[in-house]
Amino acid sequence: MNPVAVAAACATLICASPALAVFAFALSGEAPSFGGALLRDGAIGTFSLIAAGGGGAIMLGAAAAWLVSLCRFPGRAVFEWLLVVPLAAPSYVLAYAYASLTWAGGAIDFPVAGFWGAAFIYAVGLYPYVYLAARAAFASQSVCALEAARTLGAKPWALFRRVALPLARPGIVAGGALALMEIAADYGAAQHFGLTTLSTAVFRAWYAHGEPVAALQIASVLLLAALVFLVIERRARGRAAYAGGSTRWRPLPRYDLPPLAQAAAVIFCVALVTFGAFLPLAWLARLALLYGGLGDVAQPLINSLLLAGTGAVVTLVLAAAIAASARRGKMIGKAALFAAAMGYAAPGAVIALGALSLFGLAREVGWIGGLGGALALCALIWAYAARFASAGAGPIDAGLARLSNSLDASARTLGAGPLKRLMRVDMPIAGPSLAAGALILFVEILKELPATLILRPFDFDTLSVIAYSYASDERLLQAAAPSLLIFLAGLAPILVLSHGITRARAGARAGAAATA
Amino acid sequence: MSTITLTEVSRHYASATVLNSVSLTALEAHVLALLGPSGSGKSTILRLIAGLEPLDAGEIRIGEKRVSAPGFTLPAEARRVGMVFQDYALFPHLTAATNVAFGLDRLPRAEREELALRWLDRVGLGKRAHAFPHELSGGEQQRVALARALAPQPRAILLDEPFSGLDPVLRAELRDVTLNAVRETKTTTLFVTHDAEEALMVADRLAILQAGRLLQEAAPRYAYDHPASPEAAAALGPVNMFVGRVQNGAVTTPFGDVAAPGLAEGSNARVVVRAEAIALTPGRNARIADVRPHGANDLVRIEADGVIWDALTPARTQLGERTNAVLQPAGSFVFSAPSP
Repeated sequence: MNPVAVAAACATLICASPALAVFAFALSGEAPSFGGALLRDGAIGTFSLIAAGGGGAIMLGAAAAWLVSLCRFPGRAVFEWLLVVPLAAPSYVLAYAYASLTWAGGAIDFPVAGFWGAAFIYAVGLYPYVYLAARAAFASQSVCALEAARTLGAKPWALFRRVALPLARPGIVAGGALALMEIAADYGAAQHFGLTTLSTAVFRAWYAHGEPVAALQIASVLLLAALVFLVIERRARGRAAYAGGSTRWRPLPRYDLPPLAQAAAVIFCVALVTFGAFLPLAWLARLALLYGGLGDVAQPLINSLLLAGTGAVVTLVLAAAIAASARRGKMIGKAALFAAAMGYAAPGAVIALGALSLFGLAREVGWIGGLGGALALCALIWAYAARFASAGAGPIDAGLARLSNSLDASARTLGAGPLKRLMRVDMPIAGPSLAAGALILFVEILKELPATLILRPFDFDTLSVIAYSYASDERLLQAAAPSLLIFLAGLAPILVLSHGITRARAGARAGAAATA
Repeated sequence: MSTITLTEVSRHYASATVLNSVSLTALEAHVLALLGPSGSGKSTILRLIAGLEPLDAGEIRIGEKRVSAPGFTLPAEARRVGMVFQDYALFPHLTAATNVAFGLDRLPRAEREELALRWLDRVGLGKRAHAFPHELSGGEQQRVALARALAPQPRAILLDEPFSGLDPVLRAELRDVTLNAVRETKTTTLFVTHDAEEALMVADRLAILQAGRLLQEAAPRYAYDHPASPEAAAALGPVNMFVGRVQNGAVTTPFGDVAAPGLAEGSNARVVVRAEAIALTPGRNARIADVRPHGANDLVRIEADGVIWDALTPARTQLGERTNAVLQPAGSFVFSAPSP
């Protein structure tokens, strides 16, 4: 067996085992009733939040994507990438920002709290998932179909409703499924607003009620829901791939909106970006500057950087093995890809619980001692790797896809040996994708809350952990500094990646160069 | 510059034989065209010569040096054979100039850059030296690929359908640019195409391939006038085929007799007549079944005794008219056929 296949097999095991463990332990454990009343309440809570927050995110995202893809209005090119920025903040950071902003004595006297507060935060924070997928769908649509519709007299609204929307529907569904997955997985925001969801129910059953079996059973239902969303997303994305039209690049035809509609479009985009990113960001920055002491966050910051750095490297290696073996079309590669996708769909709390149960089993058998110190850090890295390997495999695969056989062959006919090919061709071409993958993983791990809460060693605080613990003590002023740092870290991959978005369409840059 | 010699080269993939005992010589400083339909193995020959694939039988020599034999493949990077790929395969992260300079490592930096620019000038792209591949048109990309392959002064250059993605006008222009460049530098050139006209026009020598076999290797004029087989004749233009028997030193077709020198009296024979070797004269032997304009000529379908042939002729005719066909000896061939 070659080393890549062995690594892929290990990756499959690492990614799949925590999720499978949750199912296994949930079914084998004995409890008076499956999940108890917490499961029922949590399910109701999660699904009503999905309906309200997820529905809002889908409508906002699809509308924004249509505006920037098919209409012309002032600032359109800037909004095209600004609209992605809300992706930087995890839901719990938005929740803490809005809670302090609308607090009694805060800047705005309108409470963002409870169910509708959470729904609002999901809608403005998660719409970029839908926006990105729908925008890609609109952008890859056959220009011919749209132009044909216009020659047949379709006005903007009819064009949207009868041609563009049906063609983009798979993309919207795929993006929507991702947003719903995030809502189901969210722990911090729902917990802060005092809601009972499946995610918060897992914690409550485990810590407050001391019923690990019930916690595992709730987690297994949550995992099942996440897998349903995953399947929906995969199938929709498969269909979206066929919906693309001609491969030749041409500028999309755009509608000139009437002045009033232009103003409305600008206001709409400004509102999305403001509520999703700039308002909470500015408020957190103000609070952090006024009340935050660097001494408070120094150690957690160092811990976060170390943990995220180590986790990113480990996960990147796994992701590279998965992507490389999947690209070779090996069975093990496909299995690894599926296992990684399953890990990515699973909420952090579920993965952590699975890892914890496996370590518990190992302790009962007598292989290991208590789960403290270094061992707990290993468990945490394992959970990160299982959760995020899929997020890293995507960019790496994109990088490998750019290395065509004829590029390699042509370097060889020009006399380049293996080392020169690696350094001068493979690395420069695939390198940016690898770096982007590493950056995404680093930030995802830095932002992660529930798994870190469950698995971290005693007294090992990270930025997300102290933000959470200050916020749950209602010390929102102290929570501002770590929240701000997480937000800023989240901006890094957005800036790097959205730079690439405008270049995503072949020839887009050539056009820019020609006009320059 | 070196002569490239292939001796009984075979190549198999999992179940299919792609090349079956092909022997070829690409003479030093000459242009050899490999002509054949897709799947004939012509691109595989280029990949074997470049060292991108191992061969299963036979051997390849570049100059005196043996570079490929069963179990031995001198790596592509050690062969100094330039190649222009069908999709050009420009490095997307390098400018036109740095693409051209890629193979010039052994030179000092200043000299390398100057040489790259000189090559871009030579193919008419001096002004686009700092453009990236995605900023160049298809034709410009092709020129960069050509300059990149020629700049390191390779012992031979291999062109894999280099003009196939281009429109006809650009195609003719780039063909001239390419041929001037390889002729000026006296570079041994192998050139793959499925366009018979292009092959006839461009090549010093022509190798006709079909289904992994070499049908004929000859000078273009000779191959056209003296095809080695009916298939070789058909590869260079539209032909009409007829199976008959040799009588009185000739085979009689519905459109006239074709001399069959060297064939035994009474044996089976296959007659091949090029469409452009049929002249139409006044008479009543055949009927015009269809007429289509074809440039200066008309493509005329003529029918006699239930047999339909194609003729490419400058004569202007009417549908349904009667005519006589004259088969010109220079384009009419007879090959022996196995007894039925």
